[in-house]
Amino acid sequence: MLRQHKPSLWAEIWKKRTLYLFISPFFLLFAVFGVFPIFYSLYLSFHSWSGLGDKTFVGLSQFQYLLGDAEFWQAVGNTFAIWFLSSIPMLFFALVIAFLLNLPSLKGRSTYQTMFFITNVTSIVAVAIIFETIFSNQYGLMNYLLSLIGITPLEWLNSGFLVKVVIASMVVWRFVGYNAIIYLAGLQNIPKTLYEAAIIDGANKTQIFFRITIPLLRPIILFTVIMTTIGSMQIFTEPQILLGNSGGVGGAGMTMTLYMYNEGFLNNQFGYASAVSWAMFIIIALFSLINWKLVQKA
Amino acid sequence: MRRLFLFFSVSLLVCSSCQFAPMSGESKPVITLWYWNRSLSDDVIAKAQEAFPHVTIDAQKIGGDEYKTKLHTALIAGRGPDIVAMNDWAYEYIAYAEEFVNLLDYGADQLEQSYLDWKWQAVQDPETGALIALPIDTGPTALYYRADLFEEAGLPTEPDEVHAQLQTWEDYIEAGIQMKETTGVHMFESITKPYLQVIEQQSDKYFAEDGTYIGDGEAIQYAWNTAVRIHEEGLSARLTEGQEVNAALNGGDVASRVGAVWESQILQDAAPDTAGKWRVTRAPGGDGNNGGSFIGVLDSSAHKDEAVAITKWLVSPDAQLDHFLDVNLFPSAIETLESELLREPDPFYGDQVVADVFVESAKNVPPTFYGEHYGKFRTIFNDEMVLIDRANKNPEKAWEDAQKKAQRELSRIDQ
Repeated sequence: MLRQHKPSLWAEIWKKRTLYLFISPFFLLFAVFGVFPIFYSLYLSFHSWSGLGDKTFVGLSQFQYLLGDAEFWQAVGNTFAIWFLSSIPMLFFALVIAFLLNLPSLKGRSTYQTMFFITNVTSIVAVAIIFETIFSNQYGLMNYLLSLIGITPLEWLNSGFLVKVVIASMVVWRFVGYNAIIYLAGLQNIPKTLYEAAIIDGANKTQIFFRITIPLLRPIILFTVIMTTIGSMQIFTEPQILLGNSGGVGGAGMTMTLYMYNEGFLNNQFGYASAVSWAMFIIIALFSLINWKLVQKA
Repeated sequence: MRRLFLFFSVSLLVCSSCQFAPMSGESKPVITLWYWNRSLSDDVIAKAQEAFPHVTIDAQKIGGDEYKTKLHTALIAGRGPDIVAMNDWAYEYIAYAEEFVNLLDYGADQLEQSYLDWKWQAVQDPETGALIALPIDTGPTALYYRADLFEEAGLPTEPDEVHAQLQTWEDYIEAGIQMKETTGVHMFESITKPYLQVIEQQSDKYFAEDGTYIGDGEAIQYAWNTAVRIHEEGLSARLTEGQEVNAALNGGDVASRVGAVWESQILQDAAPDTAGKWRVTRAPGGDGNNGGSFIGVLDSSAHKDEAVAITKWLVSPDAQLDHFLDVNLFPSAIETLESELLREPDPFYGDQVVADVFVESAKNVPPTFYGEHYGKFRTIFNDEMVLIDRANKNPEKAWEDAQKKAQRELSRIDQ
């Protein structure tokens, strides 16, 4: 019997060592700043540690505490509420904007694209400060406008619901253009011949939109939904700048990431913060999976 | 040939991180100092460099909110600066006194008489007596009030008279009711602010020196009830700290506040339209302190002797005067407090010499113990206060919730 000699993996790598040497910086950095922290946080989540002093092994009690931690679950609820309030209008508006940008009769398309995208690169801290003045309870621009049309001013930052609307509006403002540009790229990839054929077959505008545009855009929509989900689940700077670390009145604007930050870096409960981050990981993974399934089916 | 090239480039890489000592002259030890903007006067640091020519002072200004996080990380890593400025949270590190140089081992005991006693004790380990830092500035509190609005409301306007009438928080609340009835103006911006200030006037806070929880004790209860009473009388303008409060102060919607000396600058920036209308007098309910910073030397320092000497110099009475004149840091050295240079009449306060009030306040602050977890518990109680103020939460329910959360937090600390 002739046995073919298969070279071992390491021999193969050694043969191409120069190539591997050149790509190694990324992997080394990823190992140090990516892989190591992930596993170290898992290790920490089984300990109680203030950063200084000794780590004490506490087994699963951090997770046990987490399950009964009303503040954490409130943060989870808040995060989902903000996600719901922001992602649906945002993706809807983004699609409409992309559709308008894609109209053949539109002149100066790139100017509009830049305009819509510029909101995404604005400093988020500046955005939060502007929104704070707009939605301020007693001296805000929004309340001034409401009073002009005879509506009693609303205490935007005192109400648990309105505060989420304010945060969601910041997210929409910042990411609507970003998603519109992505949709636009998708729209431009749809072959013109399909539309022409549909027109010849006598399809009207609505039919064209729902039978051709939407189905062919589905992979792009799926992408934006998943990215938006992951992004909204990790929302942090908006509530922190707008409401402070406490998350505002009654913690109505406390999000999961803000809670993790508070526990880790303000309360120096590094073990518990690690446990929170792992809980977040599980929640985000599950939720993304559900979204993926739903959007694929639709 | 290729091998040689590879060897050459690798050794070049390795050696780019080597540091070669300067070729000429002996190198001076470098002392690093961490501080944040306006926590020390840059001029004073420059003068310190002149006073210590045999070392190089590398002063690094570290920005904003990350300061404490960065210090904590440096302590965890065991590689921090030599000298470190700390805000009033310095007391949290008493529990980790071994991370800092015990300044008493370096003759700091001879300086004790030169500084305010309560300020000195705030960073001294009650068990071992170890002193982890020296005082920079302090934040004595006093009553800021609008003389014109007080006059309109039929209240006294001169600082002495106001102080004579508003002796206690109960008197203050009575005046608030009168203010509301006659002018419609709120005496208080929120209830969280008075709540915090009542606590700052008392020696007991959330923990006793031995670490026992006393957040359900008399001191906190008194502060809580006072704040709740302000709420129930409708005397709070229910404002969020920051831009809202600033707008209200400038617009004459809030007539007074008990605040620390460093808030004077904030007030002047926030309410420029009200210049000349404000006055300052001793606070109802007694003198207190809110804020103020410290400076210490880390145990990981390789040049402890030099670092301690520079630290002492930076907070010496003369340096403190310069800190005050340059960046308005209110002194903690008794000799500096007596300086005539502090006593400039201030046009924002109708040419009142406000330093007189704050100096008296600073001398009468009760010594107090914060404990490692003060910040956390302050947040728990404060959050409930906010709910009472803005969302009309039932005060009794809020107190129960605060105690419940505190107990839960305690269960975790004791682990």
